[in-house]
Amino acid sequence: MIKVTYVAHDGTETVIEAEEGTSVMQAAVSNDVEGIVGECGGSMMCATCHCYVDEAWEARTGQRSDDEDEMLEGAASEVTERSRLSCQIKLDPSLDGLVVHLPEEQL
Amino acid sequence: MALAPLDGAITLDQLSSDPYPIYRRLRAESPVLRVASTGRTLLTKAALTKAVKDNPELFSSDDPQTPMKPAFRAHTLMRKDGKAHFVERKAISKALTPKRIKADWGPLYEQLAEDYIARLPRGETVDLFTDLCGPLAARILAHILGIPEASDEQMMRWSQLLIDGAGNFGWKPEPFAASDAANDEMDALFAELEPIRRGEPDGSAYSLMLTADDPIPMSQIHANIKIAIGGGINEPRDALATILYGLLTNPDQLAEVRAQEAWDKAFEEGIRWVAPIQASSRLVTEDTELGGFDIPKGDTVMTIQASANRDEELYEDGESFFVFRDKNPHQAFGNGPHHCAGAHVARRTVGKIILPMLFDRFPNMTLPNPEDVVWKGFGFRGPINLPVVLN
Repeated sequence: MIKVTYVAHDGTETVIEAEEGTSVMQAAVSNDVEGIVGECGGSMMCATCHCYVDEAWEARTGQRSDDEDEMLEGAASEVTERSRLSCQIKLDPSLDGLVVHLPEEQL
Repeated sequence: MALAPLDGAITLDQLSSDPYPIYRRLRAESPVLRVASTGRTLLTKAALTKAVKDNPELFSSDDPQTPMKPAFRAHTLMRKDGKAHFVERKAISKALTPKRIKADWGPLYEQLAEDYIARLPRGETVDLFTDLCGPLAARILAHILGIPEASDEQMMRWSQLLIDGAGNFGWKPEPFAASDAANDEMDALFAELEPIRRGEPDGSAYSLMLTADDPIPMSQIHANIKIAIGGGINEPRDALATILYGLLTNPDQLAEVRAQEAWDKAFEEGIRWVAPIQASSRLVTEDTELGGFDIPKGDTVMTIQASANRDEELYEDGESFFVFRDKNPHQAFGNGPHHCAGAHVARRTVGKIILPMLFDRFPNMTLPNPEDVVWKGFGFRGPINLPVVLN
């Protein structure tokens, strides 16, 4: 199991454990983490699973794809260099302990 | 395993007039059921409908043999999968993102809502379905798409004719003749507007698709706009009418919604309670199983979002309109790659702009005779009249 910490916009932290191979979005949705909507189920169609990867983990979560970049352009909250669609970050052992921050709004 | 049971009793008329008692029974007794009158295998539990929508490889949208093709005179993105769908979807979805809707279009939507609400007479009985819900949805959509030159009447008529054609499973000639005539009108308008939307980019869907770096073919640009016309008027119209009905028949909840300004919650509950799009079809690409039954390749399954949205496993008393639910994981916008592209527009326009504005202008609006409201539809559903007294 891989540990992931979600830091809500108000600072509330939720720690969950997820199986390898699930995405950061799926892990949040199946554990009822507030602040990730993920309506399209990970198809990169809705931009409602926006997150900011914690600085310490930035190098390990990989790069945004061009399609992801385009979808993020439409996200409801501010997009920064550390913005990702959490459906596009797949959990593997190297991400055990991952910390992501959640935007103020997704819709 | 066995094939799902076959039902020969449920009629299309029953499903159109009042499907909810039937769905309630099916969830309890036969959540996977071949219904002869529909020619489909109906799925009525939330876990099943979501699993199907989230697995486009096994449950494909790609079915060129539906009446949608002659109705739209195109194989549209609604009926494509994978990359082919993604490319066409991406071309139009840039006009529909949360950011664009909020920052760039918000003021225009507010102005349009104000204009249409301002012309409603105070102190009279008005059918909001015909006098507000339909025309305002049409006007907003015309602007989003980049065809504001089309009248409300044209937008609504085209939309209905496309829907009638796409639903013409009896393959009768008349609905296709009517949708052909509508297609001719639309194509002529699109052609006339093309140089303007290309020469003066305005961020509308048409303009964005025309001026993209790597544009999709013109035939698909037209098809995308038509899909949005066919799929973008009835839904916000029916959502608005349904939510108004829910609030006006539950004055306690309405008072609380006003106090908390919980219009977004009211919006989500309205579309959960009676989803404007109640059902969708998917073609089965390999032999598989669902809910303990064999589902053969070539079968068409029908996800009943309307029923999933009242599933007892997810909702306490899902049959009732109750705005202040703890959680509302409804499937009214669907799931998976075909998740409604207009979801953000609908939430913003209906939920954040029109509802509060309407109740602000007519704080004592009433629906004196709720029993006079007629509900209709199997694939698409909502009230077809809403006689309210505006005060």
